[in-house]
Parts: sequence; C-alpha cells; structure tokens
Amino acid sequence: MLLELTGITKKYGDFFANKKIDFSLEENEIHAIVGENGAGKTTLMRMLYGMETPTEGSISVRGIKHKINNPNEAIKLGIGMVHQHFMLFPSFTIAENIVFHHEPKKGILYNRKKAEEEVAILAKKYGMNIDPSQLISDAPVGVQQRVEILKVLYQGADIIILDEPTAVLTPLEVKDLLISLRNLSKQGKSIILITHKLNEVMQVTDRVTVLRDGQVTGSLKTKETDTGHLSKLMVGRELAKKEKTEVKVGASILSIEHLNIIENSSKKKLLEDINFQVKAGEIVGIAGVSGNGQSELIAAITGLLQVNEGSIHLADIDITNLSVRQIREAGLAHIPEDRYLWGSAKTASVEDNLMMTEYRKKAFQKNGILHTNVIRKFAKETINKFSIKTTSQEESAQNLSGGNLQKLIAAREIQQNTPFLLAAEPTRGVDIGAMEFIHEQLLMKRNNGDGVLLISSELSEILSIADRVLVMFEGKIVGEFTQADVSDEKISLLMAGGKHEQG
Amino acid sequence: MESLFDLSLINSTLRMMAPLLLAGLGGAICARVGIFNVGLDGLMLMGAFLGIAANVLFENLILATLFAVIGTAIFSLILGYLIINLQANMIVVGIALNFLSIGITTFTLRTMFDVKGAYYDNEMAGLPVIHIPIIREIPIIGNIFSGQTPIVYLGILITILLFFFFRSTVLGSRYDAVGINLTAAKSQGIKVKAIQYQAIIISAVLCALGGVQLSLGQVTMFSENMTAGRGFIALVATMLGQSNPFGVFLSSGLFGFTEAISIRMQSMNIPTNFTLMLPYVITIVAMFIFKDKTQLNALKNNTGSTR
Amino acid sequence: MNKVKNSASKMMQPLLAIVVGLIVGAIAMVLAGESVLNTYHEMWKGAFGNFYFFTSTLERSIPIILAGLGVAFAFRAGFFNLGAEGQLVLGAVTTAIVVVYLPFTGVIAIIIAIFSGMVIAGLWSFFAGWMEQRFQINLLISTLLLNYIAVLFAGYLVSEPFRDTSSAGGVPQSVMINDAVKLPALFEGTNLHMGFIFAVVATIILAFIIKRTTFGYEVRMLGQNRFFAQYGGINRKKVMFTSMLISGMLAGLGGGVEVLGMHYRFIEGALTTPQFAWTGLMAALLANSNPIGTAVMAIFLAALDTGSLGVERNTDVPNAISDIIQAVLIIFISARFTFTFLKLKKKEGKKHGKSI
Repeated sequence: MLLELTGITKKYGDFFANKKIDFSLEENEIHAIVGENGAGKTTLMRMLYGMETPTEGSISVRGIKHKINNPNEAIKLGIGMVHQHFMLFPSFTIAENIVFHHEPKKGILYNRKKAEEEVAILAKKYGMNIDPSQLISDAPVGVQQRVEILKVLYQGADIIILDEPTAVLTPLEVKDLLISLRNLSKQGKSIILITHKLNEVMQVTDRVTVLRDGQVTGSLKTKETDTGHLSKLMVGRELAKKEKTEVKVGASILSIEHLNIIENSSKKKLLEDINFQVKAGEIVGIAGVSGNGQSELIAAITGLLQVNEGSIHLADIDITNLSVRQIREAGLAHIPEDRYLWGSAKTASVEDNLMMTEYRKKAFQKNGILHTNVIRKFAKETINKFSIKTTSQEESAQNLSGGNLQKLIAAREIQQNTPFLLAAEPTRGVDIGAMEFIHEQLLMKRNNGDGVLLISSELSEILSIADRVLVMFEGKIVGEFTQADVSDEKISLLMAGGKHEQG
Repeated sequence: MESLFDLSLINSTLRMMAPLLLAGLGGAICARVGIFNVGLDGLMLMGAFLGIAANVLFENLILATLFAVIGTAIFSLILGYLIINLQANMIVVGIALNFLSIGITTFTLRTMFDVKGAYYDNEMAGLPVIHIPIIREIPIIGNIFSGQTPIVYLGILITILLFFFFRSTVLGSRYDAVGINLTAAKSQGIKVKAIQYQAIIISAVLCALGGVQLSLGQVTMFSENMTAGRGFIALVATMLGQSNPFGVFLSSGLFGFTEAISIRMQSMNIPTNFTLMLPYVITIVAMFIFKDKTQLNALKNNTGSTR
Repeated sequence: MNKVKNSASKMMQPLLAIVVGLIVGAIAMVLAGESVLNTYHEMWKGAFGNFYFFTSTLERSIPIILAGLGVAFAFRAGFFNLGAEGQLVLGAVTTAIVVVYLPFTGVIAIIIAIFSGMVIAGLWSFFAGWMEQRFQINLLISTLLLNYIAVLFAGYLVSEPFRDTSSAGGVPQSVMINDAVKLPALFEGTNLHMGFIFAVVATIILAFIIKRTTFGYEVRMLGQNRFFAQYGGINRKKVMFTSMLISGMLAGLGGGVEVLGMHYRFIEGALTTPQFAWTGLMAALLANSNPIGTAVMAIFLAALDTGSLGVERNTDVPNAISDIIQAVLIIFISARFTFTFLKLKKKEGKKHGKSI
C-alpha cells in the first residue's frame, strides 16, 4: 500500500473535525474523497500535507509511519498538493513558477534558460500543453491549473492531492484536466481528488471515500456504485423535494434589453446582447460555469458597472447607469456573490451589517440622526426571526460562521420587501441547514408575488427552485428552458458551449 | 544665470542625492519583499548619530561607519519583530520608530555629549573626498564624478549590484516572490520571515550609510533631528522609482538635482522657501506621470490592520 | 458580564503599554544618572503638580486633540491622512494674517479668522483627497509631501510679505494681534484659553457624528470595507471628500486657536517643532480613532510633554525622554492590534473547524 491513514482524528476544542478516519491509496490509483462543504475533506488533506497535525491516528507512506510536521516534509515524502486557491506568482513566467524553490542555478545565478528547457520536457512527458515563457498573469485559469500540477510533478511527487480542482474551470478545461489525471495515473502517479461533484468522480476515479460530519460513511469501488447512492451517503438523508405552490405570474419586474458591456482596455465584449425578463411571482435561474459573464451581469443590474449599450428597467423605471442608491430605491435587493468582499464588513458589528440597506429609511433616521433604539430593536428581531446564531448584535461579523453570515445577508435583503431580489450564489459554501433555509426564503419571496433572479454556478440549486432557467456562456444567453422542458443534460451541454438543439 | 547650470551642478547633485539614494534603495528592497518601510527616516537618523558618536569614541572613520551600520541594523530589529512576527501595522510602527530614533538620539546627545541642538568638533575629521586617478583626468566626466566621498561611490555601486541581484540571482527572485504572493511562497517552503528580516536589515545598513554620509560626509556634525524628513523623501523616491534600483537612482537624482539647484538659486532673488519647496512640488507633479503599484501591494499584504 | 470583561480587557492593553513605556523611561533615566523616582516625581509635578502646570498641560493638548481628531476622522473613513502638520500650520498662518487685516475686531473677527483658517486647511486636505480620487495619487505620499509645501509656504508668508518688521532679526513671525481678538483665558493667570472648550466640543460633536448619524455610519462602513459600502449605495467620493475636508478643518482649527489663544501671532516653527500634529496622529492611533479616546490620549501625551519640560528644568534628564516614552507606547499599542488579531485568528480557526 502506497499510503495509509489509520484512525485519524482531529479535534478543535470539543469539536471533532475528523473522527477515526481510515483511508488508503494504492499505486496508480485515483481515489476521490467526496463530501458536503464542511464534511472534513480539507482538514484531512491538510494533515496529510503537513499543514495540520492529527490529534490521534497515524500516517504511513510505503509501509513506514511518518509524522509530517510541515509541507516541506510532505514534499520530501513525495506528497504534493494542488490547492484550491492557486499559489502562483502572477508576474513570474510559467517556468519560473514551476521551478520555484528548486531553481536550476549557475553559482548564485538563476539559470532561467535551463528552467524553461526542463519545464518544456516535463510538460511534454505528461502531455500538458503550456508555453514555459508565458507570464502567469497572461495564462487562462485552465493553464494555471496545469502549472500547479506540473509544479508538484517537478518537485518529484508521486502522490498528488487535488483540492476541488474543477471549481474554477470551464467544462472544456474540466475535460482536459480529467484526461490529464488519467494520463498521470498511467505514468505511475497516484492521485487523491477532493471534490463534491459526483459526475467527475464517476468519470475518472477508481475508488471513492465519502465523508460526512468528519466521519467516513462509505468507501467503495467507483464501478460498484452510482451518483444516487453516493449522494445519499454524503447528505445522510434524502433532500426534501421543494414543494412549489402555483403562483400566478404577473407583470414584468426586471426587463433587460440588448445589454452590452465592453471591456475598456481590450474592447472585449463581456456581455453581448442580453435580453430577458423576470416577472412577478417567478424565480428565474441563470445557470453557467462561473466566469461566463455572470459577475458582469450582476454588476450591471445593481449599478456597480457602467453599461455600454442597451437598457435595464426595474418596475417600469429605467435604471440603466443609475447609481447604486437610486437603483436600490427603485426596488432592488441584492444578495451578492461574495459575502466577505461585497456583502459585509467583517470588523463591523452584526447590527451595523444589518443596517446597510436600511439606515437611510425614515423609520431609522430623522434629518440624518439615527434612532439607535429602533435600530437595536430591529436588529434583535431580525436575528430572532431568521435564527442567526450570534452571541449578541454587538458581535463583529467575522465571528459568525459562513452560513450564519449568509443568513444575515439574506435576511437583510429579503426583509426590505422590494419587488425584485437578485440572489447571486446565495448558498455558496454554507451548510445544508442554512442552504435549505435560504431556499425557503427565496421561494417565499416568489410566492409573495415578487420577482427573483437566481444566479448560481450550482446547477442543482437552480434546478431545484427556479421556474425558468437561462444558460449563460461567454457573455451570452445561449438557451432558455421552462420548468417543464428543463433537463440536466441539455443545460450541461449548453454550459459547455454546445449548440442548443431545436425542440 | 550661467552659474545656475554647469557641470559641477551634476557633481553636487550626486553629493546631495547619495543619502536619499541609499535610503531609497533600502526602501525598495523592503518593498520588494512586501514591507512598506516608513521607518527609513529614523534608521537614517540613527546611522547619522552613531557615526558621529563612534567617530568621537574611536577617532577612526572606518570603525565609525561600521559601528553606525551595525548599530542601526540592530535597532531595525525592533521594526522587523513588530512587522514580521507581530504583524503590527507597518505605518504605525514606522512612524513610532522615527519618534523613538529622535528620542534616543536627542536624549543621548544631551546626556552623553552634554550639548543641546548640535554637536560639532572642529578637530573632527569627516569622510575623505576621493579623486579617482584616471577618471579625474578625463575632461568632462572627471568634473562630474570625481571628488566625492566613498559612500557616494558605494551608493552607485550598490544600485548596480541590487539591480543585478533582482534580475539575475535565485535569491533575488525569491525576494520578489515573497513580495508578490507571501502565502504562495510560504506554501512552497520558503522561509518568508527570514527573507523579510534580511530585507529590513539590509535596508537599515543602507539607511545607516546614508545617515553617515549626512553627518560625516556632507558636514561633520550631528544636530537634533538632522535628517529633517529626508527618510520620507527617500520613501517617495522608492515609490517614484517603482522599487527598481535604477528607478530609485533616477528619482533620488531628481531630488538631489532640485536640491542642488535650490541652493544655487538662493543667490538669486527667489525666496529660499520656494526653492526649498521645489523637490516636493516636483515629486507631486512626477506622481501624476508615474504611478506605482508595488507599494500599494506591500500595503495590501498588511491587510487586517490598515488602521 | 461579558461586556464588563470585554471593556476591562480593552483597558488592560493600553495600561500595559503605559507601564512598559514608563519602565523604558526609567531605564533611560538610570542611564542619564538620575533617580527614577525623583525624575518621575518631577514629571508628575511638571504636568499636574499645581493648577498652573495642570492648565499648561491642558493648553498644550489643544492642538494635539484637534489635529488628532482630524486624523481620527479620516482614519475612520479609511483614509490615511498624514497631512495634519501642513493643515495645522496653514490654519494657523491664515488665521494670524486674516485677523490682523480685518478692518474690525471682536468676536466676529475671531470667528471669521478662525473659520478662514479652517477652510484653507480643509481645502488643503481636500486637495489630497481629490488627487487620490481623480488621479489615483497615493494619499499617504501626497499628504506627506503637502506638509513640507505648506510649512515652507507659511514660513515664506511670515518671512517676506507679512513679516513683523518691528522686531529686527530673530525668527520670522507675523504681526502681533490686537488684544480684542485674543481668545480669553479660562482662568486668570493661566495659559489655558477658550480653544480648549472648542476642542472639547469638537470631540463630543465628532463622537456623536460617528456613532449616531447616517453620515457617521457611512464613514464607518466605508472605512471597514469600501466594497461593502459601494454595494450598499454609499457614495465613496462624497464621503471621502467630506471626511478629508472635515479632517483638515479640525487641524486648521487647532492651528487657529493656538495662534489666537497662545502665541498671538504666527511664529515660524512654533507649531512644527513641538510635533503637535504627529503627536495628534499618535493619539488617534492609540485610541483606535475613537474621538473621546483620542482626546484623552492627547491630554496624556501632552502631559508627558509638559512633564518632561519640568524634568528638564529640574534634573539632568533631557525632555527627549518624552519622545522615547511616547514611541515605546505606540509600539506597544500597535502590538496590541496584533494581540487582538491573533486572538481573532485563533477564533476563526476554531470556527473554521466547527464548520468542517
């Protein structure tokens, strides 16, 4: 056995992040670790890579027990890790990134020529197409990922850990990556693939280990299982199918016509001729791999980005290129893509975070002076109503868990009772409880006769609550489905840039 | 007017710019590893003071310079510990270090030398002026380059060395890597803290040399707070020069030049205050033309404590 | 319970810093060959020893408080305004000149003179904000450079066009102001003048603005996360310009009252040599930009200054001792940021663990 983890336990205080986990990896094997967010996958791998030390249990490589105290020791044992967030230097070339910390030298001098040659040979050996002299900042995400893998190979790793490698890739890039992984295993490498995307697991792996709440709930041969079984092991119960009440669809709330956004420097079209409407009483979902213009669309609707051509109407008001404040006053509520960057101020209190979209309202201020008592009461009520877990409303937002902070943001936006809500990645990285809660809130908003635009890179999320689905690819809307004719495959094909077949 | 621009103007520019150049290079090396060093002024002042103090003690210029360099390097460890180990706000710590430096030098000046304001000794020898044998014979170049203190020549040499260091050596590339993406460098097993300490110590050494040039090169005395904000100007030179050694050379040259000119203009009918203002006005104008991102990156790396 | 504990630990760290600062000061005193107890006693006497010294300390704190408040306000909005010195000096020189050249005297003249000083200082600070907003010129650098320009320009004004030529030689200074436009002393026979009331009122108003108004909310949110502010519809440009303007005006007020209440003219170097602006900056940093805390810290730092002057008068220890103690203080307080930061990090780690 190449690698064996036995009885690995990691405790933080009283909390078990990992509990008695057994895991093994054979030569030339691709072994997936799957599980929901927060199931303990990353913690386990951090211990293997020496970034954390286990509370109990042992790790043995090629039959010998090792204590791995830091990444350097892991690398020496032939363990390499490709992090979810790339660890690259944008202004360095690809070759410089790959050989980093193991640079070929001539005395104290950096032999860049040799570095490029070595990298070219390495890339060729593993069939990865890269240009060693290109700058990382000029390379697309898929190439950057290849660089990360080559870096690990250059360091001589035999065991390669990939942490959610496909999260940022386009479907085509995912395909390439999976082929590369197969190649690597053929050439003698062993791979641990951390993911929560089951179709990838089915396509490429030999074995799969499922984690839930820090424990192993199943370890199976991929051939002998299917996605249905795996997801049951992951979630532990059948997800409640959302019961949707019929709501009469009303007048158009958001209407976008011929919207174009062009990047200033490169003149590239970020959004091209976008046309769609969101009507009262419906949830419109926008599906697509992230990075296909969703962020620009969100920014255009919410007033964070200048629109070059076309128009956006919100509840009969032309909001094209109005300020954020004017658009919000016209009836926009907005759950932003990134809760830490856009959605909150982490050093501010829960109360201050809740007030962002409220503080100008008459109920909370008069002539610019805040009614602190009213605000305090309002914050308390909101916290109770949306069961946001916090010690007090004075607590700073950074002490809230991801799911609770997301609930806070959802609460703030939904409570505004606007005719339109833009929900971007509303459940990214939150636990299942919070996810279901937020979905219920979105449905309630729809049942209330408001319009909801749901933008998400999780197709399952869109399929479970949207009434109508639009697919975005490379800045364009490439397909539209109603709930009746929607299917997983058709959408996946469009998301990957395939043609929409008639019918 | 003919006295305003001539070849000796370049010569005095070199003399004026040397302290700024050295401290600016120190700032640059810190910026390259992601540290925004606001303490340059304090380090320079410490160097200037230690140079004089050690010269009184040893009556040997080489020992005095060495003493200043080592002493300032040790002093800079405070800055390093707070910024690197405790992740304290770089600006706050830098400003505090400047105050500490003013406090310690003034305090020691008054208690040990028993003088208030300035210390000078007519007997004391300053840094010698070197006339490089062959170069001084060449008509124009001789006028420009000859007759400077060793530290001025050292400054030029260090500029070239640093340029070479960042461009061609492995270590230089690792310095850059730490500045560009600290987490990534760390995850590759680079000893990030060690590199940042090295950078701070090197910057302290350079600042000390700049300080010695001030107190033993341009004059032979120490006065309270004698750097008079030169460290901040050096910081501006760092930023203007985009942390590139030659860039720093050019921007500190700009300062040296305007300073040299402003001294000459004093003989004309322009109020001194305006000529003294010139370097600052020119810098602001220059900032409209060159915009730097490196320093901002250094600041961003220090997130979580921008206040 | 929790709250009490919280504020107790908040108090602990500055106290600890003060203790360490005083210890370092003691070491310096020993090195200077003086008795520590005696020197600290002299320092105490120099700062608070009798009513006169106490009022002198309060007087010294006036420009420090006002400059500090200005810095604190800009910090709150997320802008590092290092230009307090230039703004203080411009406010002072403008007030000194305007008050002399106004055709009338009295309260109205005082108000006009101080206000024009505030406006000029505010615009100077605004100018740096405008350059940042319009041309992405780093505020840190521009405010720093504008200091030198302002100080030199003020120096020019009083050494050439507005110089008091009645006294030959000496430091350049403007003409002595009329008795009717001097700010009255609060107590007979002391230096403490009306300006202190201004400083106290400004502190209270600022605290109120930050905590209790919509504008204050916008300032705080912009300072804590500008993207969040933008997302919520806060106009960064407007808040930045306003806060930079107010910041400069406060420093300008500090300069103005110092002229009308203390020096009765603008004297070159009288406001820069004591490092009022930089001490104010330290007060703001020590107090984490809380207005009331800034004022308290400013008084404390002023006490160190006046105390050290007393020390210098009566012992062999030079007054540079206060620079040393102040610097050590600020270094320790900045390390305090870190203690809280590390704690948060630990907490985050735990939270992270829990969600896994």
